[in-house]
Amino acid sequence: MTNESQTKNDAVRNLNGSVIQAEKIRKLYGDFAAVDGISFNVEPGETYGLLGPNGAGKTTTMRMLSGLSPANSGEINVAGIDVVKDNRAVREVMGVVTQHDGLDGGLTVFQNLFLHGFLAGLSRKASKNRAHEVLEFFGLRDRSKANVYELSGGMKRRLAIARSMMTSPTVIVMDEPSTGLDPQSRNRVWEELAVLKDAGVTVLLSTHYMEEATILCDRLSIMDHGKILDEGSPDQMIERHAPKEVAQLRVTPASLRTVRDYLNERAITFREVGALVSVTGVNGDRPDLSGLESVEGVRTSYRAGNLEDVFLSITGRELRDE
Amino acid sequence: MNLAIPTPGIRRRSVTGLWLRHAVSFVRYWKFVITWVLIEPVIILVAVGFGVGKLVGSIEDGVSYAEFVTPGLIIGNAMFHALFETSWNAYNRIDNDVYETALTTPITITEITMGDILWAVTRSIMTVVGTSIVAAMFGWLTGWEALGILIPAIMVGITFGALGFLFSAVAPHTTFLTLVFTLVASPMFFFSGSFFPIEILPDWVEPVAWVMPLTSAVHIARGFALGSLDMSHLWAAVYMVAITAVIWPLAIFLLRRRLIK
Repeated sequence: MTNESQTKNDAVRNLNGSVIQAEKIRKLYGDFAAVDGISFNVEPGETYGLLGPNGAGKTTTMRMLSGLSPANSGEINVAGIDVVKDNRAVREVMGVVTQHDGLDGGLTVFQNLFLHGFLAGLSRKASKNRAHEVLEFFGLRDRSKANVYELSGGMKRRLAIARSMMTSPTVIVMDEPSTGLDPQSRNRVWEELAVLKDAGVTVLLSTHYMEEATILCDRLSIMDHGKILDEGSPDQMIERHAPKEVAQLRVTPASLRTVRDYLNERAITFREVGALVSVTGVNGDRPDLSGLESVEGVRTSYRAGNLEDVFLSITGRELRDE
Repeated sequence: MNLAIPTPGIRRRSVTGLWLRHAVSFVRYWKFVITWVLIEPVIILVAVGFGVGKLVGSIEDGVSYAEFVTPGLIIGNAMFHALFETSWNAYNRIDNDVYETALTTPITITEITMGDILWAVTRSIMTVVGTSIVAAMFGWLTGWEALGILIPAIMVGITFGALGFLFSAVAPHTTFLTLVFTLVASPMFFFSGSFFPIEILPDWVEPVAWVMPLTSAVHIARGFALGSLDMSHLWAAVYMVAITAVIWPLAIFLLRRRLIK
């Protein structure tokens, strides 16, 4: 975004390696392994996603990477810094967006940014200038004197992201950037993240929205129970694990029994989520659903396989089940 | 803050940054905070000094009750400020993830307690200076030696600033923080020799009173206010430093346990 960050970016690239390297990292709470020996790399300029349900270990992973929580074992390297040895230095170079915005209610919007920049090490003048820049970029300039509790959920989230940009970091981690936002606010956050990506910022984000992962991530890991189950680009993952096509039957309560009986008789596997019955063909063939065409209250449509199906196929359960 | 004191591993920006955050927030809400910094202690001072003072007369030769009670009230009030800052206010900062956010910058738990305690000291000084000026106008605080009250004011800020964290760092909810007042602030305020010489308490209560750090602080303040300093005041200061040397590391330990999961 600025010349300074551009130089830093070059420095990172000159290392000729990954911006984030996590090697067999593990976090124990008593006997419980919240993160169970996972390894992954994030390359410069890449947006990398950790996709998984709540409790999968995403937040703990990000806290370990950003030096906020010590790992029990494993190696973490961020932009050339050994995070296990020096958890302070990593916080100088990394921007962090925590899960709960963590905005300071005792301060205005502008003061939240300015004081964060100052605490992070900017001079007063530099922090003020940067706060104005960041407010402009995130379209929050006219709210600069507002109390943070006057902001909408979307604005709070964008302010939290803006705050992580105060030090012009080349790498940021974001814990669920759009959780709890309405669709408009979510789109806005996604657009802004796209701009950061264009500026060369490396992003590690966690999410349990497959749509978010599909749109934003160059590569992603599927996480569950503290482990990475598979890793790849969204397309690769879909190709590897998801059916080409999924039939979706929207049913009425009255027609549900008929649909179930029909599918069971023909030994076609299916799953029910509310009023939606999803049917996956075998070996890529469309299942024979012709007998259901005449049933009143059933509407059939086909969609392409997605990350939701990938997750189901790998873990045996729904991503949205939490 | 550039005192040229070698502070290994302490990042000065963390401490000044946090202090500045509190100062900025204070300035935003000064109209409300000023009532506690100045108006409330002056109300108590006037009520006790003029009211109770009228009944009591003089407490010892040549010292009116108002003169006796003034340093006690001023320092007792400073204790409330320091305690409140790091118990109630710090709990809110824990609960609202303000520290969590701060920790995404290169700050440590030790520096968080330093920044907050520095602000507790600042609050203590503000209220002590403000109230002392009013007391001086009433003629209850005289002589240049009274300026020395700033020393116990700073000590109270540090000791009780550290003590407040023992509560905020373990509090499961705000109701828990009521204990700060019922277990610490109120007993100390009333039994630390602020209102009466602790020598007149039953024999078994007196040693208990001396265990409470506020007793030492009041003793020192009164030594300056009445111009009666002797070795006992030095020992009181040593005791406060010693007890702080226990409380502060414990505060850091508990806060780390709470924030670094």
